[in-house]
Amino acid sequence: MSTSLHHGRNRIASGAANDQHGGEVSRRAVLAGTVATTAIAAVGASDISAYAHAADPNSSQDMMAFLLLSAALTGIHVVNLAPEFTPNNDDLLNSDPGVDPFNVKNDYFNWINASDAPAFERLLQIAKDHAKSVTDIIDGVNASDDTKFLARSIVLLWYLGSWYEPANLKNNSAPGASAFIPSEVVSAKAYTQGLVWQIAQAHPMGYSNLQFGYWSREPVDPNDKSAPLGFITATIP
Amino acid sequence: MAANSCMQCDVAIVGSGFAGAMIANELSQKGVKVVILEAGPGIPPNINDYMKQFYNASAKVPESPFPPKLKLKDTDPKLRDPATVAAGRPTVLSLGASEWQDPEQSYLIQKGPRPFTSTYERVAGGTSHWLGTSLRLVPRDFTMQTSYGKNASNFQLPDWPSDISSEKLSSYYARAEAELGVSADVKEQSFLGIDFPTDYAYPMPRIPPSLLDQRIGEALAKLTEDETKFLEMERPVTEVKVRSLPAARNSQPYRNRRACAGNTNCIPICPIQAKYDPTITLNEATNRGAILVDHAVASEIIVEGGRVSQINYITYKNESGPRTGEGCVKARIYVIAANAIETTRLLLMSRNKGRTSKGVANSSDMVGRHLMDHPYYVAWAWLPPPAKPVFPYRGPLITSGIGDLCDGPFRAKRAAFRVDIGNEGWNFVVAGAAFGADPHVTTIDFVNGMNSSGLNKQEFNQLGKDNAALLGADLAEKLNDLISRQFRIGFLVEQDPDPNNRVTLSSEFTDALGLPRPEISYNISDYTRQGIVAAYRMRKLIFDKMGAVDFTHRLPDPASEDPGRFEEMIDGQPVTLTYTGAGHIMGTYRMGDDPKSSVVDSFQRSHDHNNLYLVGSGTFPTGGTANPTLTLSALAMRTADSIAGDLKSHG
Repeated sequence: MSTSLHHGRNRIASGAANDQHGGEVSRRAVLAGTVATTAIAAVGASDISAYAHAADPNSSQDMMAFLLLSAALTGIHVVNLAPEFTPNNDDLLNSDPGVDPFNVKNDYFNWINASDAPAFERLLQIAKDHAKSVTDIIDGVNASDDTKFLARSIVLLWYLGSWYEPANLKNNSAPGASAFIPSEVVSAKAYTQGLVWQIAQAHPMGYSNLQFGYWSREPVDPNDKSAPLGFITATIP
Repeated sequence: MAANSCMQCDVAIVGSGFAGAMIANELSQKGVKVVILEAGPGIPPNINDYMKQFYNASAKVPESPFPPKLKLKDTDPKLRDPATVAAGRPTVLSLGASEWQDPEQSYLIQKGPRPFTSTYERVAGGTSHWLGTSLRLVPRDFTMQTSYGKNASNFQLPDWPSDISSEKLSSYYARAEAELGVSADVKEQSFLGIDFPTDYAYPMPRIPPSLLDQRIGEALAKLTEDETKFLEMERPVTEVKVRSLPAARNSQPYRNRRACAGNTNCIPICPIQAKYDPTITLNEATNRGAILVDHAVASEIIVEGGRVSQINYITYKNESGPRTGEGCVKARIYVIAANAIETTRLLLMSRNKGRTSKGVANSSDMVGRHLMDHPYYVAWAWLPPPAKPVFPYRGPLITSGIGDLCDGPFRAKRAAFRVDIGNEGWNFVVAGAAFGADPHVTTIDFVNGMNSSGLNKQEFNQLGKDNAALLGADLAEKLNDLISRQFRIGFLVEQDPDPNNRVTLSSEFTDALGLPRPEISYNISDYTRQGIVAAYRMRKLIFDKMGAVDFTHRLPDPASEDPGRFEEMIDGQPVTLTYTGAGHIMGTYRMGDDPKSSVVDSFQRSHDHNNLYLVGSGTFPTGGTANPTLTLSALAMRTADSIAGDLKSHG
């Protein structure tokens, strides 16, 4: 958790540029054009009318959009989702997501894409459109049910390593509902990388990297606002 | 099968769990030729497959790492039909309101009126999912009738045989503690008169207490006599001590195994085997020459001329059967160590073409009767600010408890209890487990605006509204605050032996080998229920003293289907209480001095057949409140000595 890529919340809040809308738009337009051209070439002429851009985990921009989306939705620093992530602070979408030993980000990307590719593509587009604003991403995601409940599934995936069908979440979304919602563990790796355990300052049951006796002492508080390193974040990256 | 093709040995043991493995190892050290029949699979070369199975299980129940698989596919809504499993077993998932009396879901055929809620494994090493708690019984646990029954009416709790007492078992306890590798502090464990020899030391120092243990200890350090008078102890209580629990969990490297790293997963499985399990002793026994035959389900004990002459077994290869063959073993001495339910089943199945129509070792008609557990009353709470969080999901599942209240004059009237302090938050207790386990349930609540946990109310979530659905840092910070304040406690309640709490054979339902499945009749007596009522009051005292908010009785409606629930009038109010199982299956072939009212003697030798021993907690006349494992291990050591003596004296 302690890598130099962590940033304190206050530092990020003041450091992140919120006034780059002009550059943002033009970059987005260019990006969209590039992606469309590539995709059309891949799909082939006869399918052009049915074309919809398919999210591609090997596209660093798609992956970065997924990571920025995930960071906004989970409130966890990108570097905890992708430990080898290298930021390009001038253009976050063109950062390097990196390859790490667990690489759950790729597993999750593929899993979500297989579950609902069109809604996932819309989520990625929201992240691409609002790459610097957590609030805008969350507002965009919540604007329609198909993105809202898929986004909740994605949060649960990162937090718990288990897949909860968006439809099951939607069916049980009456305020204050209580229900058993079935789920599927994505993989042994996904369970051991679940973020909720770290959020609770603990570790997945059955997967501790700590040493004898640690439980007699208080854990280090990852939310300590005076500490330079953080885990939870309200800003990007 | 013809007798001349049987395996031959000195001692044949059915079952490779605690008692079986320990007796096999003790005797193998003395050069005795031992054969062990194990109904389940053998010892895997490492536990990687078990761990993978556990990590991938959506319901991480105690049985989840171990074979046979609970469901054909993890996402199936239904469990495997036990009629299609070769060596089945009861599981937590088969105890739901719609499962417990469904023979297509429950291995045990449960006749009620209440559910028997404990489970077990059938694999090499037997007791795999256990916590490691290794308490000695307190002296008066052995003398309930003499100590408390004289003036009580309808008192059902007998004394243990006169040869068994806290003092007389002390050296066997010590041997068992060495074998298991128990971490504890003698001074801290010297309460209620437990006998330790002078200068005795446990094999390892104690396991340090968790933050929650410390907090509860502080909360109970100063009490008034008025607050504790409901306990009806011998002397007024103004302080209740929280003590570290003796545990077969390494606090230092011990016998080539690591020290505990606090994986918070003793049950179902310790990923680093810092917690002892019987495969360790079993491997030593087989290294010394004992032969372990796995996938071998004992099906009949053959009796000739009053002595056991042979045990027959059925073999299979696949979890779902069918039988692939049969075999037999001949020995001079036979030991049945297949737990309190499966041992009973084997004795009752062994009818010898009608010569033993009531089953083997059953002239007393006591086999299968007096089934006991420690009905487990759990309570969970949330510690609001400004109290500091207690940080669950850290450390071993349980590190400390309250044992000082488990003996006193109240035992003439109501059952004793012992308190466990849980370090796993609301993991298996949240909302009565109706909606799954935590931290999942609480997390889903705050992602999806639900309230299965009971916590998504503004009085607890401090968000100015009920049923909040959060994303981003708001979500992470809220979960950090709420989850780190969750905790639970549990009460193990003594159960008096009732002859009608009974294991018999189903005349209708079989397993995939065609063997009859166990049928269970079970109830909770008024004596035991009054123990749960006292636990309910103690829960209130603990939570009040801590300033914690009780969530136990914020159960939403589905909990009303909990088959373990019952109503009691407490202080003029009807209160709904529930119990679950402790996994402590005891009593079904009780020991005693009188062959008319007991099945085995103090050496766990059958009164009827002098070359047959029945071991394990099935021999306990009463259960006290301590986890039975250490006591059954001590008794197994004593039995191993007795068998060695038998072999010597008969040449």
